[in-house]
Amino acid sequence: MLKTIYSFILSTIFITFLLIGQTTSTNMLWLLSIDMPVTFTVIFFSLMHDLINMNVGGAIPVIGLVTVGLLIAFILARIILVWVSMQNKYAYALAGGCAIAAIVLLMPLAFYNLDLIAGARSIYGKGFLIISGMLGGYLFGCMIKSREV
Amino acid sequence: MLICFLSIYSLISLADSHSKGYKLETIVDGLDHPWGVTFISNEEILVTELSGQLRVVKDGVLLKEPIQGVPDVLFAGQGGLSEVILHPDFKENSYIYLSFSETDSSNKKLNTLRVIRAKLEGSSLKEIKKIFKASPYRETAAHYGARLVFLLDGTLLITSGDAFNHREQAQELDNHYGKIVRLNDDGSIPKDNPYISTSGALPEIWSYGHRNLQGIVVSADGQIIYEHEHGPMGGDELNIIKPGRNYGWPAITYGLDYSGAIISPFKKKEGMEQPIKYWVPSIAPSGMTFYSGSLFPEWKNSLFISALVPGDVRRLTLDGDKVLSEEVLFDTEGRIRNIVSAPDGTLVIVTDGPNGKLLRVVPNN
Repeated sequence: MLKTIYSFILSTIFITFLLIGQTTSTNMLWLLSIDMPVTFTVIFFSLMHDLINMNVGGAIPVIGLVTVGLLIAFILARIILVWVSMQNKYAYALAGGCAIAAIVLLMPLAFYNLDLIAGARSIYGKGFLIISGMLGGYLFGCMIKSREV
Repeated sequence: MLICFLSIYSLISLADSHSKGYKLETIVDGLDHPWGVTFISNEEILVTELSGQLRVVKDGVLLKEPIQGVPDVLFAGQGGLSEVILHPDFKENSYIYLSFSETDSSNKKLNTLRVIRAKLEGSSLKEIKKIFKASPYRETAAHYGARLVFLLDGTLLITSGDAFNHREQAQELDNHYGKIVRLNDDGSIPKDNPYISTSGALPEIWSYGHRNLQGIVVSADGQIIYEHEHGPMGGDELNIIKPGRNYGWPAITYGLDYSGAIISPFKKKEGMEQPIKYWVPSIAPSGMTFYSGSLFPEWKNSLFISALVPGDVRRLTLDGDKVLSEEVLFDTEGRIRNIVSAPDGTLVIVTDGPNGKLLRVVPNN
């Protein structure tokens, strides 16, 4: 049980890091494209700022959003695994992808189609974030599988 | 006990308003999300309701029937029937101008900012002419801008917001996101616009790099154009607008994204204009008037900015392009959607919401 909780926390942090990192890099890449003086130091401090502030200073804490999404998705995946024969890592990868897809696709519907996570505004951004969710789910599936073995 | 408390509270309020030298009088209430206000005369006021009605207030009474002939608007999110202004020669030609959000007829998921000119004949609009459509269409129902103002030379400025999701395009000149546009009164493009001969630029663009511009006024002498815009989380700005200038959004900003992320770590850059004032945290500036009346001599040549958060009016004293002081006024009425100067020298405040009010600021004596 403790290892499941530990695995869940780790996968949540992993996805949150990728999500925030993608938003920071999206902003920095655009600034670079218009010749703003973006240096390694600027990128580093922006990422550090976003890792903290997107979890405590924004309208919705990203880690909270990811935690709720993953919790629902992983519980559903665990129930489905009772009837469906599938390797844990793939089932949880799908669940992780679905959780992040729900966040980036459904959240705008509540806010006049506004994408509050800047990195999710493009189709590529949405795709990257969904893959991040899948990777996080895969990580979770692998970790709890190793416990079972 | 309760009566005693209320009596004391009323006395304190009365004493407070007397000490301030002004009081607020309700002109009308019951307006559905009022937004734009303009005066045909001191006794006759046009008011837009975001839900799509153009209403008339005559001799202090809100007429039951709205003006007929207003086009269908998209009333969603921040969109709806927005600004109304009169042509500078309204008495001769009866032209009014309206801005509103409009659904794309070929794809209902898309919408845009539209501006029309029409003749106000009795209680109907006639000879409606579409003079501007912001392009491209957007999928969001936010950040339209939608304010209008005439310059002394008879040209019209239109503010067009960045549609929230398209902020980076405010730095490009091939679209209307985050722009101020200048047109002749019939919708044609003035020959002296700054990008008239720039390849790849839309010739109607006057300035760019804006976010959600909801206040634009011209000083009494017609020489200075003041504009304010909502920042994201912090970073609301008051700017002096000059043709062909880049106001920086989102490459430079004093605000953060709603998610808490840095939009840009830069606040200044050569070639990008600085605001003459900015607010952190945000006040959500929603309307503006330059006071040149004589009823409140101490307020003459002040800029009044209405604010939605926490809900008040900011009086700024100015010296050219410098803001000298800021005073918070009228902070007891909730969210303030707009503030306008009336012909008689009073100020009229518009409160926000489904039961919006017009309040007149009059001297206490």
